[in-house]
Amino acid sequence: MGAGHYLLGASVAVISGLDRTAFPQIMISRPIVVGPLTGWLLGNPSAGLQVGLLVELLWLGRLPVGAAIPPDDTQVTVGATALAIGMGGEMSGASPLALSLLATLVAMPLGKVGQLFDRGARNWNEKLLQRSEEALAENDWQAIERSHLAGLGHFALASLATFGVIVGAGSLVLHSLAPILLPLTAKSANWLRVVFPLVGVAAILATINVRRALTLFSASFVSAFLLLWLL
Amino acid sequence: MEKRLPKKILGRVLLRCFTLQASWNFEKLQGLGAFYALAPALRWLHRGGDPGPALRRHLGYFNTHPYMASPVLGTMLALEERIGRGEETALGVQEFKSMVMAPYAAMGDALFWGGIRPLAAVIALFLAAKGSLWAPVVFLAIFNLPHLWFRVFGLIRGYRLELDVVEGIRKYHLPDLAVRCKEGTVILLGGFSAYLVFLCLRKESLPALWGLLLLPAVFLCARLVRKGLSSQLLVLLVAATVVFIIHLG
Repeated sequence: MGAGHYLLGASVAVISGLDRTAFPQIMISRPIVVGPLTGWLLGNPSAGLQVGLLVELLWLGRLPVGAAIPPDDTQVTVGATALAIGMGGEMSGASPLALSLLATLVAMPLGKVGQLFDRGARNWNEKLLQRSEEALAENDWQAIERSHLAGLGHFALASLATFGVIVGAGSLVLHSLAPILLPLTAKSANWLRVVFPLVGVAAILATINVRRALTLFSASFVSAFLLLWLL
Repeated sequence: MEKRLPKKILGRVLLRCFTLQASWNFEKLQGLGAFYALAPALRWLHRGGDPGPALRRHLGYFNTHPYMASPVLGTMLALEERIGRGEETALGVQEFKSMVMAPYAAMGDALFWGGIRPLAAVIALFLAAKGSLWAPVVFLAIFNLPHLWFRVFGLIRGYRLELDVVEGIRKYHLPDLAVRCKEGTVILLGGFSAYLVFLCLRKESLPALWGLLLLPAVFLCARLVRKGLSSQLLVLLVAATVVFIIHLG
């Protein structure tokens, strides 16, 4: 995968990163959307769909309430999809599922930096507030509006930086460790494909505010499982 | 009261509502965003005179759920319109804002982030698990229908109903709706987990009923998350354990 592909990935990272908080919050930033979208733009939508499936539930229970900043699952998905497709181009014959799993496993911890960059953008926005207060003293309303829109740039930079860290550090890790980790991942791919969503389900059950959540979940799980077994 | 704001101006306010959080900061949160959204309407309302005092009123703290901001901003505009005409209002703009921001934030968080988003995600994940590329389309459709409805009609109704918008929104019983969505999510999560486990066992040619053993494993993970273990660390630990066991076996 060449620089052009990573540039395309970076464009998706910025647009979807803005959607997380700044504009327009129509949820193209969710892993289940941005994964296939990135994959489609990079020529392999199935890889993106696979990464989206793995990541979607993991932090879904972490709500962006008030000043809380959840882990950046958007950039983890975009970065992991770009890495999986990039690796696929270099390692022909490798299992696509194993590539998606390995890329996601590597990208996930790196996504932590997304929270730091996001916090940085929000701190940076406080300077816009100061600038607005100065403009207020001069009755320069247009300057206040421009200050507000400048915040978009801060969030865009934070997204781009997160994507850069995930893809940069992720590529280094994968190039050195893929020969060892890929066969291990491929061998356990079917199980790992279940591990991600099930841990996500557990995290949601732990945080969702529903009476008798475990009872409802168990009843549904057992009935669906028995039905699948009987059919 | 006769409403004066032209549709074009309301449309601009609506579009600007989508950027409410563009300059989100820890000091005044969505304060600049609310100013930006209201500015075209305030300038129009005070086009003959000085819009300064009205604009200055809105360069402060503002924090609510971004989708629930529309009815708040709509009502604030209606109140500003009355103030501009020199009419008495039962509540001042700042009083109204302070009164509704927090409860609307709580309702929006529970309904949109805690209710509709997980529900739409689980439905889309069923399609994704089948390999269907319709998954993102279905997710966006399920989530954005109520979202956009609230944004668009929230602003219009807030502007038209003024303070009565509080009663108008109360009639929707949003907290109850959020609970129903969450219950639906939990039920669908059960079905989705069963489907994934069943597929995995079939691919591995293992007896299907072994899958029931994964139910206590999910409960254990949920307990660990509740005790404070991060889901990221948990997924890495479980993945490492699975790889290790399969490598040995």
